[in-house]
Amino acid sequence: MAALLGIEGISVGYDRADVLRDVSLAVEAGSITCILGSNGSGKSTLIRAILGLTPPRRGRIVLDGADIAGLPTHAIVARGVACIPEGRRVFPKLTVAENLRLGAYRETREARIRSRMDKVFAIFPRLAERAGQLAGTMSGGEQAMISIGRGLMPEPRLLLVDEPSLGLSPLLVKENFAVIRRANEMGITLLLVEQNVRQTLAIAHSGYVLSQGRVVASGSAPELAQSAEVHQAYFG
Amino acid sequence: MDVGLFGQYVANGLMLGVIYAMVAVGFTLFFGVLDVIKFSHGDVLTAGAFAGLATYGGLQALGFASPAVQLLIMLLVAVAAMAFLGALIAKYLVLPLRTAPPLNTLLLTLMLGAALRECVRLFYPQGANPKPFPRLLPQDAVALGSFMLRLDNALLLLGGLAAIAAVHFVITRTKLGLAIRAVAQDAETARIMGIDFERVVLLTFALGSGLAALAGIMNGLYYSEINFSIGLLLGVIGFSAAVVGGLGNIYGAILGGFLFAGLQTAGAVLLPALLPQLPSAYKDVFAFAAVIAFMAWRPTGLIAEKTAERV
Repeated sequence: MAALLGIEGISVGYDRADVLRDVSLAVEAGSITCILGSNGSGKSTLIRAILGLTPPRRGRIVLDGADIAGLPTHAIVARGVACIPEGRRVFPKLTVAENLRLGAYRETREARIRSRMDKVFAIFPRLAERAGQLAGTMSGGEQAMISIGRGLMPEPRLLLVDEPSLGLSPLLVKENFAVIRRANEMGITLLLVEQNVRQTLAIAHSGYVLSQGRVVASGSAPELAQSAEVHQAYFG
Repeated sequence: MDVGLFGQYVANGLMLGVIYAMVAVGFTLFFGVLDVIKFSHGDVLTAGAFAGLATYGGLQALGFASPAVQLLIMLLVAVAAMAFLGALIAKYLVLPLRTAPPLNTLLLTLMLGAALRECVRLFYPQGANPKPFPRLLPQDAVALGSFMLRLDNALLLLGGLAAIAAVHFVITRTKLGLAIRAVAQDAETARIMGIDFERVVLLTFALGSGLAALAGIMNGLYYSEINFSIGLLLGVIGFSAAVVGGLGNIYGAILGGFLFAGLQTAGAVLLPALLPQLPSAYKDVFAFAAVIAFMAWRPTGLIAEKTAERV
């Protein structure tokens, strides 16, 4: 399989301190690749680096053969990268429909926006009922649906998912993982960042373990499930 | 009170309200997208009025005599020039200071305002003197009982309301407006959606500054006179109106503009009636005192959008 995203030796940091040091990884086209790691391991910084929000100091981020490190965020998004951010980050004073519309901001054809919104509504009928409601007035679970739906709206080639289980009930987490798997079956490549090891490895094809800003283990999902490093990174 | 006089006060109050609302909308837009107070806004209005006047002079020299054509070209030139100036200010003065303490932006735009004002005074021919502004609107009047409705005032009022409605339409119904609202609520997530943050900020500043130019020309047409310092008071009033309404909220800014004009008009009418030794010139003192009292009562304004923690 060809790598859709290749990260080659990036170091990323804020101010003086590097949070990620010499991180390399690959996301195969069509796969669900996961990044496991505890709090502060640098997972979210990795997402920020890919999106261009915190550009890497060294190294390359190659999307489909082109280096995107250093490009502004909107240019990276225009190349087919989307993100379901940590903490959902819905726009509270916009309606559900406006939130979804913003997901497809780079898409100019109204017919496509409509048909994609219908697809999202088919996955989350609750959102169709509440299309005109302000997102900030909805429950945490409903906001998670908006955030996921918004990430699907651009029909991205690479979807970055940052901690989808954070702050949700076990039942909702299960549902959201099912949606993520379904998105992958629809052809979207996913990079999934999670702390929830068991459920993540159940849907991922392969993964990497981050600890203190470095990749300490990698392999297929079944291999990682057996790996001592995973246990150490989490429970050690 | 005489009905005609009462009508006159109402018409005057509405007219001022529209102008204030247009200035206040600019303040609230800038605060919305960047959380900054741009104190040069009033002086951009002055520059817009003078750009209009200079265009008028040029058109006279070229021999365009039709007032309608003159007014149209003046508006186009002034609004376009100030929209461009607003975008320039955003790009080279406000955006580079994003990571600096907000007080620096405040100070910088305050200085920029003073510089703009002085430039108008020094470089415009006899810029220190008040300038007569051409009366380009029809001067006819319609008698409604004892109230004389002047056609030019009615047109100005309608024009101002139409401009506010147009801005409202852009903000609530267009893709740019959706992007502006998204950036105002969560700039980083807006970028993740693929919104070009800098472009949206520049367009927002262009929109607000173009609106200020329009307000400047309306102010000139209403009083038939402009001077280099009109923006000083209009800027402070527009800022007050935006804060009273709740910074970041468009409806609040419009409401605040009309509220301030109402206070001024009430001050002009009531002060001499209640206290004969106070002339109506104290109307501004009255209006600002009322705003201060109001802010003590509701520190976040009528419609709190976000708290003004950056000022």
